[in-house]
Amino acid sequence: MSSVEDILAAENELTHLLGAQQAVVLSTRIRLARNLDGMPFPGWAKVPQRKEISDRCVEALDALPKFRRGHVLRMGELGDRDRAVLVERHLVSKELAAGKSGAAVISRDQTCSVMVNEEDHLRIQVVKAGWHLRGTWHIAEQLDDALGGSLKLAFSDRLGYLTACPTNVGTGLRASAMVHLPGLCLAGHMDKVSRALNQDGLAVRGWLGEGTEAAGNVFQISNQQTLGLSEEAILKHLGGWIKNVVEQEWNARRKLAQEEGEKFVDRLARSLGVLRSARLLTSSEAMNMLSHLRLACDMGCLPEERRHLVDRLMIEGQPAHVQARAGQELDSDGRDRRRAAVVREALKDFPEVVPPTA
Amino acid sequence: MSKPIKCSLCEEAATVHLSQVVHGNVTKVHLCEACAQKGGATDPSVFQLADALTSATPAPTLTCPKCGFTDIDFRKRGRLGCPSCWETFGDALGGLLLKVQHEASHVGRAPAGTMPTGQLRRRLVSARLEMEKAISSEDYEAAARLRDEIAEIEKQLAPL
Repeated sequence: MSSVEDILAAENELTHLLGAQQAVVLSTRIRLARNLDGMPFPGWAKVPQRKEISDRCVEALDALPKFRRGHVLRMGELGDRDRAVLVERHLVSKELAAGKSGAAVISRDQTCSVMVNEEDHLRIQVVKAGWHLRGTWHIAEQLDDALGGSLKLAFSDRLGYLTACPTNVGTGLRASAMVHLPGLCLAGHMDKVSRALNQDGLAVRGWLGEGTEAAGNVFQISNQQTLGLSEEAILKHLGGWIKNVVEQEWNARRKLAQEEGEKFVDRLARSLGVLRSARLLTSSEAMNMLSHLRLACDMGCLPEERRHLVDRLMIEGQPAHVQARAGQELDSDGRDRRRAAVVREALKDFPEVVPPTA
Repeated sequence: MSKPIKCSLCEEAATVHLSQVVHGNVTKVHLCEACAQKGGATDPSVFQLADALTSATPAPTLTCPKCGFTDIDFRKRGRLGCPSCWETFGDALGGLLLKVQHEASHVGRAPAGTMPTGQLRRRLVSARLEMEKAISSEDYEAAARLRDEIAEIEKQLAPL
């Protein structure tokens, strides 16, 4: 079994664990950019240097208890589909997957993944299901300290952690929340919210990060500034805004449910109906209808304990995941057929949508 | 036909044209498809970045002695060559840093085992405020204690 198959087969927080999921916030993510002292950044390094960087980083990471029985994946050794699966799971970025010299070291529980030779030598990432900013940060902090103990990291007293791009220098910290905002989208408030966040130094992106569409009403909200603010201040700023956005989302949902009444329930019920009987489902159609199911679980229109299944289908309904599960390359129709079959099977014993209780 | 406009970041023909109006001042940035895609042209910070890159007066060529990276490379890539580049280009990047980061110095964590200068700097700022307060409330004992602490922190920060 390849490591990527292993990752797909393993139960993990984002796709399986009951109870960790929450309404509105799908996951919390911390990313730290770090570089080795005295080595050129990956984009400027020559091939042998990149090899040396990769070897040194992977060796240091592999020795950490956090990565015991984890996975070391070298991009140059993986096929297109396996790399696409990792991108869809947010375990590696598109940039890392596109190059040959990158590697990813992933913990057994898939909460920690470190990208080697992306834009920076090291990109430490920690992801937890639901909203757990402090807990996620502490894991990243410990990993950072452990790595700093075995590798000499590029650091300047004045500028902090030195990175390839000026947008990451200082703390190298990008903290983000993946939020599901169907209420704000349906009410037409998302542009306004986006603008307010932008003006206060936060970026709003789509499901797969930079330059992607917000399929399924899922957005990633993250800090932009990394210099001149302490980690504590960055987390507090993001935390305050996420709390605010979650509140606004709930207000929008309640208002919609109240004002639309039967129409609101009808919309959710129709999505369940289509997902349960469609023979061909495109990726974006599935995402948008699964978004309705998630909303239904949050609002008490469907049992809350079904929410993790919806989250799993959102991840596993993506194109590379569908093909990996099928064990073969599929054309667009083939994927849509397969996706519809997987969704039908998963939802076959779902109860009917009832009026909201939340 | 008029000459095609070149991308502000590379030499390709620009197909994406951004205009930003701030208090009646119009700034324009022209990008090729690739640079616009790469930067995510909808992200306002990218605009600032492109803006800073294009409006900067052509500086004398700087070369990093450690990795051979030059300021021209930076204009093309928007990324530096190695950690030492920050020393070489530090002053030249000052304006850009202020534009994209709004701040010029680090106040966060440091690698384990190095001096936590960020914390020291933050303590310095708050100790100075506390000292002013102590003096205005005529608590000279506290003021003297804070003065000593400030002197100690300044001594630790001095060699940097």
